[in-house]
Amino acid sequence: MSEEPSDLPEAAHRRLNEGSFSSGLSVSDFAACLDMGLEPVGLVQGFCAMRWGAVSMSGMGGGVGGGLGGGLGAALGGALTPFAGAPGGYVQNYQCPHGMVSAEHRAWGQNYQQIWIEDAWRTGFNSAYSRMMHEAQALGAHGVVGVLDSENPLSDTGVVEFHLRGTAVRLVDASAPSESPWSTFLAGQRLAKVFEAGYAPVSIVTAVASVRVWAYCVTEYLMEGTGGVWSTSPAAAEIVQIVDAQSTVREAVRARVRSSLHGDSLHGAHLEVSTREFAKGDLELQSRLSGNRVRRFKDFDPVALPRATVRLS
Amino acid sequence: MSTSASARTNLREEVRRALTAPSAPADRSNSTTSDLSIDEELNLHSIGWEPVELVSGVSLHSIPYGYWNWGQGEIVAASSAHATALAHAKARLVREAAAAGGHGVVGVHIERAIHPTHVEVSLVGTAVRPADLNVRRQRDVFASDLSARDFTMLMVAGWEPLGLATGASFVFAPRRSMSTALQQQSQNVELTNFTEAMYSAREAAMQRMQDMALEMHGTGVVAVTVQEGPMSFASHAVGFVALGTVVRLATPTHQLIHPTMVVSLNDATVAFDAQTLG
Repeated sequence: MSEEPSDLPEAAHRRLNEGSFSSGLSVSDFAACLDMGLEPVGLVQGFCAMRWGAVSMSGMGGGVGGGLGGGLGAALGGALTPFAGAPGGYVQNYQCPHGMVSAEHRAWGQNYQQIWIEDAWRTGFNSAYSRMMHEAQALGAHGVVGVLDSENPLSDTGVVEFHLRGTAVRLVDASAPSESPWSTFLAGQRLAKVFEAGYAPVSIVTAVASVRVWAYCVTEYLMEGTGGVWSTSPAAAEIVQIVDAQSTVREAVRARVRSSLHGDSLHGAHLEVSTREFAKGDLELQSRLSGNRVRRFKDFDPVALPRATVRLS
Repeated sequence: MSTSASARTNLREEVRRALTAPSAPADRSNSTTSDLSIDEELNLHSIGWEPVELVSGVSLHSIPYGYWNWGQGEIVAASSAHATALAHAKARLVREAAAAGGHGVVGVHIERAIHPTHVEVSLVGTAVRPADLNVRRQRDVFASDLSARDFTMLMVAGWEPLGLATGASFVFAPRRSMSTALQQQSQNVELTNFTEAMYSAREAAMQRMQDMALEMHGTGVVAVTVQEGPMSFASHAVGFVALGTVVRLATPTHQLIHPTMVVSLNDATVAFDAQTLG
């Protein structure tokens, strides 16, 4: 996670320096943190409101076509050339096997990675994250536990608000931190187990990947179940274009997260994939992967075989 | 009391040690990713296994238009699309696991969606392997929907998972004749066409799952889940899907596990759950 210069408001500085702490921890999490020698110093938060457009043609840099949406794209499907792809992004073209061009026939199809959406998302999330971490730093915290994050649309203005919050904690009887604070989605007993297992939290990790699908004729027919009307196409088959897009959007987000681990491990990963249909045959697949980046600081202690129990209550 | 105080001191020392450890790992190429909890990783570690990589497999398969509404017997196109989509998704999942050096995949989350003209299957799980890298893989990479905890218990009992077995069948419930429909309109009677269709779907699906288990040389299927019922988009079609993990004995005999009786003093509510800010 990148961190930018602090833009903590003056009022927040004053409030944070007043001497009492706030915390988002439950009483049990609070007790577990004290047991670990971590004392809460403040509830820290970061916000970022980002303008959010599904398509940014200026960012595409190539031809038009895939991003045009259903109506116009369908009408001109045979005439336009495929998008060349954003630099460094995945792009794959699919050519009609039927050898015909008409206004209705989708003579080509394309999957492409929407790098500009991934970048916009990362900017919004990282800004909110950095602001939360700056608050923690201002409090002299060693880390932030129990991080929660959300992204919500602000009315219908195409603006998305990123909101991160967590509890800044300080290691009891330790000198002031010399490095940036660490962060984790975990708190309480679960965090204690991470330490006991020989891992130290490094940071939360979250990434998004986005792939747009502009279906070509074969995909369109297979999705509609009409593949068999063409003698060259099977009546039922795997829908390869969508499978390629689904596989890529999952692999891209995992690659992005892996590249941010630098030899550490990702624990408690959560992978979500959503599909949004803008128009017939015009889809966006978005994947999001979150987890805790942890670093091994000692080898596993020997663990006895688990003992089966039967609960009597 | 002294034990508790000493445990607390140890934990505090561990935390202090962790947070003052060197700031970069020695081997920067050795990252692992997993969706397992720390409890599950400890479970795996207790039997000498470790997580390697988060892996996934996806497939979509089409179903020709019009098969759901009229016909007799099994809707073969739908059953076959479901089987193919699951087989392809599974193949991709284990291929990723094998590429990452995994011997198997545990805790596979299975998402299935059946639409009128296509079936979608998505599998996500964590590839695992023995922590001793000298242990060579003896057989095909397995995929299992058992949690890491259940996988551990299975291994402790002397069994091993072989793979996911599935069986699905979609059957057309024949339409009643006009006279039968009119006669039954004011009666509380069993609609045998639906009951028989459900039995037919059940038998075919269970048979397919069992056939798959036998193909893998398994002795049984554990943690079988079934989903059955009418299809929301087709008034005369019913479906039955069975899914579980194929297992076989890996040791000469089953290892008896004697559970310990415990009286839990936990509250009914979940403790230590960082959801208080939500």
